[in-house]
Amino acid sequence: MKRQDQLLEFVNRKGFRKGWSAFIIAFFLLFVVLPTVFVVTYAITDWDAISITVLSNPKTMAIIWDAIAVSFAIAVIVTVIDFFAGLPVAWMLVRKDFRGKELLDTLIDMPLAVPTAALGFSAAIFWVVDPSPVPLSLSIISSPFILIVLLHVVFSYPYMVRSLAAILEEIDETYETAGRTLGASRLTAARTITLPLFRAGLATGVILCFSRSMSETGGTLIALSTMSSLGIVAADSFATGPTLIADWRTLSFTDPSYTPALAFVSILLIILSLVLLVVLKLLIMKFHLPLRRVWPMPEKMLSRGIFPKLKDGSALFFLAMIVLVPSFFIFTYVLFATPQAAEWDSFIFALGYSFLLAGIVTIIDIALGIPFALYISKHREKRSSHVLDVLVNVPLIVPTAALGISLTLFWSNIGSLSGLEFFILVLAHVAFTYPLVVRNVAGAVEEIDPSYEETARTLGANPMQSFRRVLYPLVKGSILAGAIMAFTRSLGETGATQAILGNNAPTAPVFIVALVQSDAFFQAGLACIILIIVSYVFMLMLRYITRKRKEVI
Amino acid sequence: MPEVELRGIVKRFGKVTASRDIDLKIADGEYVTILGPSGCGKTTLIRMIAGIIEPSEGKVLIGGRDMEGVPIEERDIGYVFQNIALFPHLNALGNVSYGPVVRNKDRKEVEEIPRRYLELVKLLDRMKMFPSELSGGEQQKVSLARALASGAKILLLDEPLSALDARVRMDLRYELRRITKDLGLTVVHVTHDQEEAMTVSDRIVLMRNGRIVETNTPEMLYLEPKDLFTANFVGETNLLEGVVKEVLEDRSLVELRDGTVVEARPSKFKSGDAVVLSIRPERVHPASEGLGAVIRCITFMGTYIRISVETDSEDRVNFDVSTSEDRDYNIGDRVDLIWSKRSGILYPRPPEGVQEAIKLE
Amino acid sequence: MVAADDLELTVENGEYLCLLGPTGAGKTTTLRIIAGLTAPDSGQVFLDEKDVTKAEPEERNAVLLSQTYSLFPTMTVAENILFGPEIRKVPEEEKKRTLIELLDLVRLTKRADSYPRELSGGMQQRNALARALATNPDVLLLDEPLRALDARLRIDLRHELRSLAKALGLTVIHVTHDQEEALVMADRIAVIRDGRIIQVGTPREVFDSPATPFVANFVGQSNFFTGSILCSGNDRTTTVHDEEGRVVFARPCALPVDSKVVVAVKIGNTRVVKKSDAFLTGTVERALFEGRIVHLDVDVPGLGRYSVKLPASRRDQVSVGDEIGLNWSVKKASVFPYPEGGLENELKVD
Repeated sequence: MKRQDQLLEFVNRKGFRKGWSAFIIAFFLLFVVLPTVFVVTYAITDWDAISITVLSNPKTMAIIWDAIAVSFAIAVIVTVIDFFAGLPVAWMLVRKDFRGKELLDTLIDMPLAVPTAALGFSAAIFWVVDPSPVPLSLSIISSPFILIVLLHVVFSYPYMVRSLAAILEEIDETYETAGRTLGASRLTAARTITLPLFRAGLATGVILCFSRSMSETGGTLIALSTMSSLGIVAADSFATGPTLIADWRTLSFTDPSYTPALAFVSILLIILSLVLLVVLKLLIMKFHLPLRRVWPMPEKMLSRGIFPKLKDGSALFFLAMIVLVPSFFIFTYVLFATPQAAEWDSFIFALGYSFLLAGIVTIIDIALGIPFALYISKHREKRSSHVLDVLVNVPLIVPTAALGISLTLFWSNIGSLSGLEFFILVLAHVAFTYPLVVRNVAGAVEEIDPSYEETARTLGANPMQSFRRVLYPLVKGSILAGAIMAFTRSLGETGATQAILGNNAPTAPVFIVALVQSDAFFQAGLACIILIIVSYVFMLMLRYITRKRKEVI
Repeated sequence: MPEVELRGIVKRFGKVTASRDIDLKIADGEYVTILGPSGCGKTTLIRMIAGIIEPSEGKVLIGGRDMEGVPIEERDIGYVFQNIALFPHLNALGNVSYGPVVRNKDRKEVEEIPRRYLELVKLLDRMKMFPSELSGGEQQKVSLARALASGAKILLLDEPLSALDARVRMDLRYELRRITKDLGLTVVHVTHDQEEAMTVSDRIVLMRNGRIVETNTPEMLYLEPKDLFTANFVGETNLLEGVVKEVLEDRSLVELRDGTVVEARPSKFKSGDAVVLSIRPERVHPASEGLGAVIRCITFMGTYIRISVETDSEDRVNFDVSTSEDRDYNIGDRVDLIWSKRSGILYPRPPEGVQEAIKLE
Repeated sequence: MVAADDLELTVENGEYLCLLGPTGAGKTTTLRIIAGLTAPDSGQVFLDEKDVTKAEPEERNAVLLSQTYSLFPTMTVAENILFGPEIRKVPEEEKKRTLIELLDLVRLTKRADSYPRELSGGMQQRNALARALATNPDVLLLDEPLRALDARLRIDLRHELRSLAKALGLTVIHVTHDQEEALVMADRIAVIRDGRIIQVGTPREVFDSPATPFVANFVGQSNFFTGSILCSGNDRTTTVHDEEGRVVFARPCALPVDSKVVVAVKIGNTRVVKKSDAFLTGTVERALFEGRIVHLDVDVPGLGRYSVKLPASRRDQVSVGDEIGLNWSVKKASVFPYPEGGLENELKVD
């Protein structure tokens, strides 16, 4: 007892608290931010290699530019589609009351629970033209570009709807009502009052969707190789930035001369996505919607009768046909396909490996992410906190395949990698899941009235006690939500894993990619379903916990 | 013809009934206040008039027209919100111009109308300021100007002053009445503050638990409350429990718990009825003989002194004396209290107990 | 920005002090500095003659009750009350006793297991109060404790809160913007504006002898007359006149003859009289019934609007449009040197 008290007192000392904060920030900078962008230094140290093997080779350059251009084009189109299809649904979720709202709320998150590798397979089978189509599939797409756009919409759409809904929830509905009492029709009020207040949410949504699309590897790879197995030749030579990295990474294991090209693509992707996102953010903040102009008659007409129903109906149809059905089409596929023998042993090993990895990653995220989140949300008035807040987003924005390359370079620079694969993999996964926990917790802490903790302090609680007894019970839900997000994200990740260990990485998603690439469709389908079910159990936990939290407050 | 009529309004939210059996007619140009404690359903009522929510039963009529299915923007109402709700991305002028702009007024009017109303609330010099740069009182004035500029003939005020400082509130309520009367508007004002209701209204509608308790002019509500709850809620009062001894032509005689007999107005009670006597503090006076009491508490109220005593009948009674009075009062002193028989009003003693009958929350 | 400027204030043991001022005057900042939640840029805070300027909030034993009460939403009424004792590791027996006593004191025994969100506003306030009392604080800091409540309930709770504090012998600093609340509740009032304390005194001192025109108008509304001193020779009255030749009388002051002054008199102390006895005459613009009094707005030609509170019993004697006379008792009128920034600026409350 006494020793515990001494420990507590020690922990509460100002000196200790300062040291602890410094440690947390140092961890973040050294293990999360630095490895993420380390590859950029390669351009300085090995510029010669790059200029000889890449820049002076027009064929390689053409491939690189093509892949990157395709990536950007897809990301832009996907984001735009997400916005227009997502806005009506977000609006419905926040501002309307109807039967089945709960269901809609659950449906939106469903694609998030499905690892992208499974999504890629599922969507490809649903859309792609197939000589002997699976029953109920559409089988109409023969362009890899359109297929990838459709695929990316599936998993980025929930992020858009969620960010739009979150910001909409924060905008007091009274503003809109006030506008209407002043004579504005529903549409006019929404457009001239709510939308301008909306920009911050729009920026978050756009950035999330954009970077998700930019960085996706596993699903894209699977969709493309499924397509080429179905006989569409165009898919063979089609590549996005991340899939190019994945391909070259596999080659570089046997042929080290690919390394400079690999580094170059990674650098380009990292720098371009960072620059583009800054530009995007500025653009959204400066962009003015036509506020002053109103068109009372047409807007009034559009606010009444059939038009709102048409809008809501088509948004829901989009959700069903473009997002939900393709995500879960795999179940239909497995139902109709001819069974094949499967190598269960290696899949179970892969699954176990993935779980262990995701578990360890999540624990690290929580242990070091919560103090970090507390630090940035409690020191809002400091400049350093703003800088850290921006830096937290970097690993989210950087394509994970590029991140994997960067990490490999960073650690191999320090020492030999052999035998440390698992350790490197953990660090890589921490880098891109850490921001998820930090963002969730920091967001929740900032929403909580600081007067709770202040009151606790004046009642005699020291900072540790006031966190544990007052703040922690209030943000418990968000911590768990963040943890589960990090867990499922790590579980489904392909790009970074592959970039570090190549196609032989022993995780479940990479295993599935390998199955598809060797045309073992049925086994891949089954493996996907198992992965989906396991992830889904976690998703249900998340919903259960967050709902409970809402009741408490 | 902006008169407002509510016919048999009932509003349910799930299992909770927020308003029931509401019948109310508000004349053209009348200033009506809906008064009541938190949760009495007053805001629900005003929101139904505005069309923000629809009643479960009954009808809302504005200018004789049934409002069922008529959207908010076509009801020609101005609404002032408790949380003020100025559009944060527009400056004062932008806020006030919003109504004329969305109503598609021609350019000249869009220029001219907002300025006229900002002038009216004396804020023309601050029109370029954003809401966050204005003080609370100024914000609420801008929001009033915004409601007026949209051309509304009916003004709905939802606790417009409750977010403001006490002192600002006092100044603003006179302003509110002056402006709306000058413009000849029909006003429905919701508040929990009885003092505010008294100063601004032509008529007060007192609500409790979703029902209308009493509707009358401020004066009648204060001087002739028909209900015990009204007597206590609208202005402070002393309540003494007793039994009717005798009812005469010009007075009623009530025997209090200690046997003292006091006077009240003539009433329809019979001797032996259990009653509550209500008497306002300013009507109770110290005298050489009367109801005996001991002083428990003396409070300086500025222009008068409030003395709180415990009577021999074990009732708590407050009375006021002027600060300029010669007599010295001290805690523990004995005083005798009297009042004019016309000032005491009798109510049947409520079966649930007096405290329950006047409970505020 | 300076929220509290050169502030000096001593609060006695067992005293009920109200810090009164308009929004943004620095009241809450002052309270937070005392509680240790905001560090002062300069200056010191003493509790019990001990310098606590550098002490953490939990080391001060000064409990803050915030405007919204900040009841911990994840705890029941009883758990909220026991928060302080838990932290201090008070023995189980004693905790139980404290809880029973406090629940009884604030009349929440029946609701001990409810959550704060299930309570009405008044109950929440009492719950927060009990939680504060459970730690046996040296000082209780109340930040607008009645603001969130209904107007009528507020009036009842004023007396309740004060009697409770007095019965327990607590030292209380109560922040409010409501002058009536301060008058009724305080032993002493400190009027604060723009981060400075303008006047400290008993309610009667602050009301009857305001230090500045602002205090005169903020603590109970006042009517003002601007003019210059005609004669202040005797020790009974000051005579003030304006350019139109109007003459009013006020209590004696030390200002020299001919200096520009404002005379302030509470609207409650302004009387309606026969024109022959009047200092000023005007026309009744409006008569508003307020219950125990009738509020009259009187237009005095050339001077603008004067307000009068007429006892409701005399309301039949005056009606709108009447020409009436106004005067006041000389000892109720204060004389101030004309404020530098102009009168309107001085009186601004918003």
